[in-house]
Amino acid sequence: MIYISIIIGCILGAIIGMNTPVISYTYSSYLAIAIIAALDTVFGGITSVIKKNFDLKIFLSGFFGNAILSIALTYLGERLNVDIYLAAVVVFVGRMFTNLAIIRRYYVDKWTNKFAELSSKNKK
Amino acid sequence: MKGKYTMIISIGLATLILTTVMFTQFKTVEQTDITAIETMRETELRTELANWKTKYEEMEIKLTETESKIAEYQSQVSNSAESETILEKELNETDMYLGYKKLQGEGIEVVLKDNSNTAIDRWDLLSIVNELKLAGAEAISINGERIVSNTEIATVGTQFILINGNRIPAPFTVKAIGDKKYLESAITIKGGYIDEMKLYEKTVEYEVKDIVEIPAYSGKIKFEYAEENK
Repeated sequence: MIYISIIIGCILGAIIGMNTPVISYTYSSYLAIAIIAALDTVFGGITSVIKKNFDLKIFLSGFFGNAILSIALTYLGERLNVDIYLAAVVVFVGRMFTNLAIIRRYYVDKWTNKFAELSSKNKK
Repeated sequence: MKGKYTMIISIGLATLILTTVMFTQFKTVEQTDITAIETMRETELRTELANWKTKYEEMEIKLTETESKIAEYQSQVSNSAESETILEKELNETDMYLGYKKLQGEGIEVVLKDNSNTAIDRWDLLSIVNELKLAGAEAISINGERIVSNTEIATVGTQFILINGNRIPAPFTVKAIGDKKYLESAITIKGGYIDEMKLYEKTVEYEVKDIVEIPAYSGKIKFEYAEENK
């Protein structure tokens, strides 16, 4: 169910995104970091769904809060002449990998269990 | 069950927003010309600016070099043009002074003729040339022979008078350019040249003219023995 909604969201988002006007290149670095933050939150959301501890408030606040915070940090870094956005990228991408690992493990376990069940059924 | 739907919808909406922004970003990155100045980041602009600055400085140095060279050439050109005109002027003046130019101007014409009693000799010619020079004559000729610095007025045998190496027969027409009043008075003064000639019964006629033409010296002034003493 959840994957169907994700796929529909992806398709609709792609169609809308294709038709939006091009934003200024100056702001695209902020947008990129916001995308990474949001991506991390989405993966985190999927993980929480799998773990069955999904909280809508946490998900939405994470989704927008992380994006806004990362944009603010990038802006601050530009002001301080320190590439803070690199730290944000490292953290978010690292968390993304962790979440992906959790998702992967869950499904690998699930499928192995299913195969084990199937094979045991066949033996019976 | 209700919580599950809100969860699904919220995740779907989040993905929707995410992919929308992502595709916008893709498009932006794809369509933006990275080399264009408007899209450059500050650091890139800074390095670019530094590059241009060094280039500009190099060019400026080159420009000043070239400008100084041009100025040099120009001064040379003007110098040579100036010196050319000066040289030409000097050459002209020297030619006039040496007698290499045809000249004209106000002056006097004196005609000395042989008569039945006496003949004109070289002393008569020498003394009139001398008198005219004293009166400020700028150019003198006798029968078309220009009197220059090394002109001789000599007698060869008894018949001919030699001027500039040429034999000159009588009558002698002495032309002089200069202040006509001075020239006239120089020879007509009481006890002067004309009186003296009359004393020796020699025929002298003179005429003051507004335009006297004097030919150029046709010979060459050469220095074989003399050299500049520095």
